[in-house]
Amino acid sequence: MKHPFQIIVADTTGRYLFTTVKNVLLVIDLTSGKLVGQWKDELDNSDFLKKKYEEKFDKENDPKRQKSESGQAKVPKIPTPGPGAPPIYNYIRALRLSSDEKYLFATTDSDKAVVIFTIDHSKDNCLELKKRQPFSKRPCALSVDEDRLVVADKFGDVYSIAIEDDQVVNEKELTPILGHVSMLSDVAIVSNDKKKFIITGDRDEHIRISNYPKSFVIKNFLFGHHEFVSCLHVPNFDQSLLISGGGDDYLCLWRWYEGQLVAKIELRELIAPFLTDSHLPPERFLTETSPKEISVARILTFTNKKTGLNILVVLCEQTKAVLLFEIDAKLSVRHLQTISYEDNVLDMCYIEATNTLISAHDSDKNQLFQQQKFDEETNNFTPTTETMDAVAELNPIDVNSRNDFLPLYYINTLRKRSEH
Amino acid sequence: MDWSVHFPKFIPPPSSAITTDSASATATRRVEFADIGCGFGGLLTALAPQFPDTLMLGMEIRMSVTAYVDARIKALRQIQGLLPSVDGGEMSQVVREAVKEAAGAEGEDPLPAEAGVSAEDVAEDRREEAENRRATREKVPGEFQNVSVIRANAMKHLPNFFEKGQLTKIFFLFPDPHFKRSKHKARIITTTLLAEYAYVLRPGGILYTVTDVKDLHDWMMHHLSLHPSFEYIPTETLLDAGDPVLKSAMTSTEEGMKVERNKGSKWAGCFRRKEDPPMQESVLEAGVKKTRVVRRA
Repeated sequence: MKHPFQIIVADTTGRYLFTTVKNVLLVIDLTSGKLVGQWKDELDNSDFLKKKYEEKFDKENDPKRQKSESGQAKVPKIPTPGPGAPPIYNYIRALRLSSDEKYLFATTDSDKAVVIFTIDHSKDNCLELKKRQPFSKRPCALSVDEDRLVVADKFGDVYSIAIEDDQVVNEKELTPILGHVSMLSDVAIVSNDKKKFIITGDRDEHIRISNYPKSFVIKNFLFGHHEFVSCLHVPNFDQSLLISGGGDDYLCLWRWYEGQLVAKIELRELIAPFLTDSHLPPERFLTETSPKEISVARILTFTNKKTGLNILVVLCEQTKAVLLFEIDAKLSVRHLQTISYEDNVLDMCYIEATNTLISAHDSDKNQLFQQQKFDEETNNFTPTTETMDAVAELNPIDVNSRNDFLPLYYINTLRKRSEH
Repeated sequence: MDWSVHFPKFIPPPSSAITTDSASATATRRVEFADIGCGFGGLLTALAPQFPDTLMLGMEIRMSVTAYVDARIKALRQIQGLLPSVDGGEMSQVVREAVKEAAGAEGEDPLPAEAGVSAEDVAEDRREEAENRRATREKVPGEFQNVSVIRANAMKHLPNFFEKGQLTKIFFLFPDPHFKRSKHKARIITTTLLAEYAYVLRPGGILYTVTDVKDLHDWMMHHLSLHPSFEYIPTETLLDAGDPVLKSAMTSTEEGMKVERNKGSKWAGCFRRKEDPPMQESVLEAGVKKTRVVRRA
């Protein structure tokens, strides 16, 4: 069986699908159904640990230490993580295209780096690694501002690096443009009246809006969440809006510049039929009254090209469903449809050019991709007749059983169980 | 956030804020001084009578210490309420008894054993309390109705409590030095956190730091000096001008008194919050450049 695809991103034409499986990046041409680009993160985590340790040893290779070694310098053993150490999984956490779709950005866990690829479809492998920029803490979210890539990390800091510049900077010399005291979960560069801002969401309930690039000036905070924030989405149809989601039972719809909470979009009732025991808190935090927990995994929006109606698509982690809403001109939000699937949805992307919603699934039967077409008349999605099973066969990662899967559901681990 | 619990004499409870009158009163009365990591509340009780119309809030992360400061403020308020007004008037026997009792309660130590505070520290604080008993003998302006304390992780949640530009003074007195290099990021003054302090502090407002650890002082001075939102105010300038706040900040905290007893050194660093720089308009700027070129041609 195949390891499921974890992240999917499509270009605007809808021809190319960019996807990740474990530490592998794939580019699939949907028109020909062929693999046109591939990259594997060959770095092993132990290599990284080794390098880090060697650096450390080098630093400590001072005369004071050598003296005590009676002439012969002792080479210390490289420590290996013991059996109790938390496992480190090597996978790609974030994937993003540049606005002109000439570059692809991804994060690697092995060496805590951001990888930048140039996309050239005339080549056999359309992905060419341009730069691999390591960071001192694990990057986990990406955004783009013209020629700069904005990187948010698990320490709570945000960095901005030049996309064009091939020079790799020593990670210790990078200085953050802003920082939270909590792990960051998403970042977005937005503009209002020609002025740019950066929105950051964190593991606490904070959404912060700062000036950009002078991000030391905080414009304001958006308070509406009680749990972690995991998704920040600014719709293409109205950049003055922000839709945020996380560990709460609702999404927040904001006019971010005004700092105004326009609406709370309730999810609990709609998604409740799809919540299972796996949504209960871990055993040691479980009580008789513990609710099943909702974690928002992806928020998308698009516009019905025929009617101009704005549509919101929401994925909650570890569910077999996708929720569809309409956002009307008065910004009131109404549920339109619940798309249900056979298997849990891991990620989804919407291709406006073809009115297609592609979803990646946690499937035992190699039905790793599904597609649904949007009907502009009924404002509903219906499954397409052709399957994507052939495309899914391009997946190079074969596994024996589910036990060999990397953890597919980790958003809910952001939930805080005790007071900090 | 219901501030009426903390400042009942200044802020009406939310239920009574139906009329526009009291709503505007709520809006105008806001906390203006924040003591981050207020410890046992020495600065707050020293400043309260000096600025009787200014609301001030201590933030402390240790649960038991917060409980202590809370009890201390409540006791001070109670005593002040029982004392006769400054104009004179004899204290009745009943009142005298009540004051004595309340003063006893104020001196009483509600700290549980696991407070993370050594018995020695507590003993010292008791002594300081005795020195500070003035507040229990005569009426002071404001009667401590303008001070309160909350338990909070200020590094994480400061913007949850204060709006943009709400504070006129913010204090970081004798903060945890976090000596180990790997712990430096946990220090209360860091480049990234200064953005949040700048957010809650009004332009023109002052950030005060005092420490007895030279290394930490240098660290705080370094980070504050480099930050575009803050400008250094020479300590002498403030002291020469007889700034009562800086004097209190240096001497009235329990930690500050301890350093004084041990004849240690103290370093202060005060910074004024600057105005925010104007935002760049990318398109406009390009236009300006173009006209310059045209003029030259």
